Amino acid sequence: MSKPKISSDWMCGCAGCHMSLLDMDERILQVAELADIRATPITDLKEPDEGGVDVGVLEGGINNTANEEVAHRMRKRCKILVSLGDCAVFGGVPAMRNFLPLEESLRRAYVEAESNDSECKIPSDPELATMTKVRAIHEVVPVDVFVPGCPPDPDVIFYVLSELAQGRKPELTGDLLHWH
Amino acid sequence: MTMVAEKITIEPVTRIEGHAKVTIHMGDDGKVKHAYFHVNEFRGFEKFCEGRMVFEMPYITPRICGICPVSHHLAAAKAGDIVMGCPPPRPASLLRELMHMGQIVQSHGMHFFELAGPDLLLGFDADPAVRNVLGLASVNPELAVSAVGLRKWGQTIISILGGKRIHPNFAVPGGVNKALNAADRDAMLKDIDASIATIQTGIDVMRGWAEANMEDINKFAVFQTGYFGLISPDNGLELYDGDIRLIVNSGAQMERFSAQNYLDIIAEHTEDWSYLKFPYYKNLGWPKGVYRVGPLGRLNIADKVGTPLASVEFKRFKSLNNGRPVENTLYYHYARMIECLFAAERVRELLEDPDIMSTDILNTRMDIQGEGVGVIEAPRGTLLHHYKTDGTGKLEKVNLIVSTGHNNWAMSEAVDSVAKTYIQGPKVTEGMLNRVEAAIRAYDPCLSCSTHAVGQMPMVVDVYDPEGNITQTVSRGL
Amino acid sequence: MVNVTIDGKSIQIAEGTTVLRAAEQAGVNIPVLCDHPHLVPFGGCRLCVVDVEGMRTLQPACSLPVSNNMVVHTNTEKVLAARKFVLTLIFSDRNHFCPYCQVSGGDCELQNAALDLGMTHWEYQPNWKPYPVDASHPYLVLDHNRCILCRRCVRACSELVGNSTLGVEERGASSMLVCDVGVPFGESSCISCGTCSQVCPTGAIIDRRSAYQGLDKKVTRTASICVGCSVGCGIEVLTRDNRLVRILGRWDAPVNEGIVCKQGRFLPLDEERARIATPLVKKDGKQVAASWDEALQVAAAGLTPLVGKNGSGVAAVTSDRLTVESLAAFKKLFKDGFHSDMVTTLGDGEGVAVAADVAAELGAFSGSLESLASADCVVVMGVDLTAEEQVVGFMVKRILQSKTALVVIDSEENGLAPFSHVMIKMAAGAEKATLEAVQKALKDGSAADEEVKHAAALISKATHPVFVYGKRLNSAALKTAVELAKSVNGSLVGSLTGANSLAAAQLGLGKTFKLNGHQAVFVALGDDTPSQQFVQSVEKAPFLVVQASHVSRLTAVADVVLPVEMWAETSGHYLNLEGRLQESVAALKPAGEVISSLEALKALAAKVGLSADADWQAEITAKTSPVQLTLA
Ligand code: SF4
Ligand code: SF4
Ligand code: SF4
Ligand code: SF4
Repeated sequence: MSKPKISSDWMCGCAGCHMSLLDMDERILQVAELADIRATPITDLKEPDEGGVDVGVLEGGINNTANEEVAHRMRKRCKILVSLGDCAVFGGVPAMRNFLPLEESLRRAYVEAESNDSECKIPSDPELATMTKVRAIHEVVPVDVFVPGCPPDPDVIFYVLSELAQGRKPELTGDLLHWH
Repeated sequence: MTMVAEKITIEPVTRIEGHAKVTIHMGDDGKVKHAYFHVNEFRGFEKFCEGRMVFEMPYITPRICGICPVSHHLAAAKAGDIVMGCPPPRPASLLRELMHMGQIVQSHGMHFFELAGPDLLLGFDADPAVRNVLGLASVNPELAVSAVGLRKWGQTIISILGGKRIHPNFAVPGGVNKALNAADRDAMLKDIDASIATIQTGIDVMRGWAEANMEDINKFAVFQTGYFGLISPDNGLELYDGDIRLIVNSGAQMERFSAQNYLDIIAEHTEDWSYLKFPYYKNLGWPKGVYRVGPLGRLNIADKVGTPLASVEFKRFKSLNNGRPVENTLYYHYARMIECLFAAERVRELLEDPDIMSTDILNTRMDIQGEGVGVIEAPRGTLLHHYKTDGTGKLEKVNLIVSTGHNNWAMSEAVDSVAKTYIQGPKVTEGMLNRVEAAIRAYDPCLSCSTHAVGQMPMVVDVYDPEGNITQTVSRGL
Repeated sequence: MVNVTIDGKSIQIAEGTTVLRAAEQAGVNIPVLCDHPHLVPFGGCRLCVVDVEGMRTLQPACSLPVSNNMVVHTNTEKVLAARKFVLTLIFSDRNHFCPYCQVSGGDCELQNAALDLGMTHWEYQPNWKPYPVDASHPYLVLDHNRCILCRRCVRACSELVGNSTLGVEERGASSMLVCDVGVPFGESSCISCGTCSQVCPTGAIIDRRSAYQGLDKKVTRTASICVGCSVGCGIEVLTRDNRLVRILGRWDAPVNEGIVCKQGRFLPLDEERARIATPLVKKDGKQVAASWDEALQVAAAGLTPLVGKNGSGVAAVTSDRLTVESLAAFKKLFKDGFHSDMVTTLGDGEGVAVAADVAAELGAFSGSLESLASADCVVVMGVDLTAEEQVVGFMVKRILQSKTALVVIDSEENGLAPFSHVMIKMAAGAEKATLEAVQKALKDGSAADEEVKHAAALISKATHPVFVYGKRLNSAALKTAVELAKSVNGSLVGSLTGANSLAAAQLGLGKTFKLNGHQAVFVALGDDTPSQQFVQSVEKAPFLVVQASHVSRLTAVADVVLPVEMWAETSGHYLNLEGRLQESVAALKPAGEVISSLEALKALAAKVGLSADADWQAEITAKTSPVQLTLA
């Protein structure tokens, strides 16, 4: 039987969750033995598998049209979708932006900021993605496994990935479940 | 009729606070007209932090970047020291600097070995299947293992002090919340020699590579800018605290100022095509006043380096351009490793300081000033947090200039220059993409190291004809 | 007694007990948010729902009384689903950003409840309406984003503190926590006792000073007592790396049952005075650091010739906040050793000295704070309980809601006056006459003064009046007060100022200080701050030795300064206003060459060839105390 395939990507997060994944240190090799780690920001990237992957892992919430695409693509290509980290699970700190109209945040950064020169204006090039409300992943696509934490502890990530790699659904309890 | 590509899109190139992409616009002559480096992400921290308490900022702002969260953690605490009017006692500053050195080591080490290493050791044009850290591991397994150990050592320093490796809980306005005990100090000292040895190996690798690739180094994104960064009182390399020095490309000092006055010296420019702003030196104006920060910038502004081993290496570095600023983008990697060595040596100095285990780590005498700027040299360059609060310490205005921002012009320029140098005509090859990518990666923009930690960036380049039809797709990753 | 079965465990329990308390006794844990063992059940959050056989709907355990043969299940699927739903609604109501929240990671009861239920995410997102953060208070920050409207703070502020600053205002669909009528926290009637922050289950009320100083898991907890005044509240001192992080009221302390005042909770954390780390001696008019031996030598050289010189010898003054052990040693050294005729406490000892005089004549007359719980009339005489012994003030104010009458009799402004039913304000010195007038009015209903008549009426109506007396009563007035109380079967409670004033009085350290012809002054200052007046009265002494923890105007003029521990560094005993002997336990280790006041006194005694070894237990019981002492 072939090893299950795992793939990951990130969206509106800080990369901290993937850094925490790296912080598994040598245990990442154990995971690599159990599973075939495919396209992720931290392994060699190959052509996407025709038939998709078994486990898709996403870090970060969804705050623009580009991220929406990432989420939909991952959902389409994976059997089990994992929301990794508070941003993915709840929206996280970036979701504080939802308190304000987007325009106000943009104005603060590109017009009002103390260091801006008089010519500063809000970038509007069509190449740039369109901002949206910041959403948790499950507000956009269905999620199968939620792994909160900011970031989740390397022990938690190791547990989740090795369980999934062995075809089991991880149950986060006790020390493995934290929200901060 | 020959097909002329109108626009090439490389997405995602890297993620600075998220995603970025490059578009390359072709001229009618089949040559690159201009290449743009778009930062495609905007999160709005400056606005949504308004109304929060200043003492929460060391815990909110690290969520800007999980790769160098310590920089935001400390810059926020330093701004808090000033806003709350509670300068930290000396032991607290030493401990903060210690945590910061841990971060410099882990971030620089990871960048060099796991991100840039494959390019440097295996070559830009090597087969993408092996041009990654696993390929590096097969060529030099010992080095790969010690590289992992180096990062672990840096992260351990952070987690011993702050409870966790990422988003630690340590600094507060007025100092830090935990003292260092003897056992923890010894745990940090334990791996210091091995770590220094690993860094020195890295420096050897870099020097060997430089000798063999002089042509690339001299052809690859070399340009004249100013340089900007913290400086010690005696004009030595400084990563934690001090005045800011700004020099022009001749090496002449233009400014030496306190970060509190940064608004007098620098301003920011916007371009329609990027969410990342472009800081510049006000006196020279935009775009003449652009400058670079980060390892290369810091070594260029420094007259010396205060630790013995790094000081020897620094003299070699300075001789590269006969004492004048070193302008080659690829020498960022060299400068980075010299700093990494400095940071590791500095860890030892700090741990041997008689004050390091003092429990006088917090000044609780608050006298709210209402405004302050926190500054630190993040691995990627100068980071500024500027806060204004009401009389209760509640934030009214937040302005952040992140390290990657200062290098925005340089990255954009590097992308443009590399595209023009290496892309001839509409046929885009793998090797060209790698150089475009490498131009950005040399500046180590936030998130790129993780993008490429053990592999390479996913890229799709679509080449369009003037009617907007795709004529060629070069892709990898995803 | 009724029979109840909870999760298969059968117990016998008093009728009327709630299911929640019954479960506690059965060793079954039911999660709660709005419930607090020291507050009246509110039944608002419904996290504590349980399945009771025979009842169709789930019931809140916190407010459901047990009945005979009740069978309760606390862990069924249905119960767990209901609890998750309760939490889901709470999280979607306001804005919880756990990553940076001060209490996240162990100190948040809401987060803990969610983690205990295995909640990995929220089904519904909030509607992203931002709530205000009120930072106007000097010690507390109120973040409405994290408030779950459990009303623990509201109930604590009124039921425990009697201050009723906090309330909940209905605002259409949503309710908001408000201070008074909706003013900023810092401009409200709040008296900064911090009880609300101690009971708040979330990060909605943050103590500014200790924010991000380390979670519960990372601090060391020391059960001790507050030495701020003569109440001696039980406190828990939270420290980390030998630093004070936070002070909490101890719920299991019999004296205060959890509450403390600003003086106990916040002021110790505001300490701004510089510490004295080494002994200092004056050389050529300048203080220089010295070794202990050197400093003691200099002190002894100045003091030894004065042994036995009485009025022209050494005058010795001590803080009444030192431990009994230190006070007894102090007395032994100076009264019995030096034979000084001026061995006393700093300034404020008079109140308790008066009480001691009265006790010598009438025997013990004062009682415990417990009497306040059943008081239906409280008469406060000569003390402002909003400024001193504040926790007694809380105990008075909180019973006013249950129709207890309050009479205030004072010659000065009194913070309790606005809460009183009658305020009798008279000239200083007229206390005795006023109390006699009340007594007369009680006997025959006649009084020239309307207030006096009204007060007497309230007292006579009461079945259990309690009289609280303080330092502005002289012994004649206090005697009258004692007679008055006796005549109506009332109890007395004394406000005895310093944390160990009673012990000092028992040791006979009650004189009013005067320098007179004394040739030297020794001050055991501890961590007290000397008054300007006191400094002036001693600075002309030819030789001044000060034993102190912090730099002050007094230490600045001393010939010898001996560095000693401050309260949190010292262990030792205290006698509170109820005569209860309690122990203060060191939570911090002193730095430098600092030693305890007791050790310093003994070292000095050894140098001058005298003794400071005293049997303090015997000494404090040697004479009649105003209040029965409980030394066990
Ligand atoms: S959950 Fe925390 S660590 Fe993960 S991406 Fe978000 S902010 Fe970063
Ligand atoms: S109050 Fe509790 S649940 Fe709310 S943000 Fe803070 S830690 Fe999270
Ligand atoms: S600090 Fe005390 S008085 Fe003030 S609101 Fe809280 S409980 Fe009430
Ligand atoms: S402030 Fe705290 S204690 Fe008060 S109602 Fe809100 S959550 Fe409950």
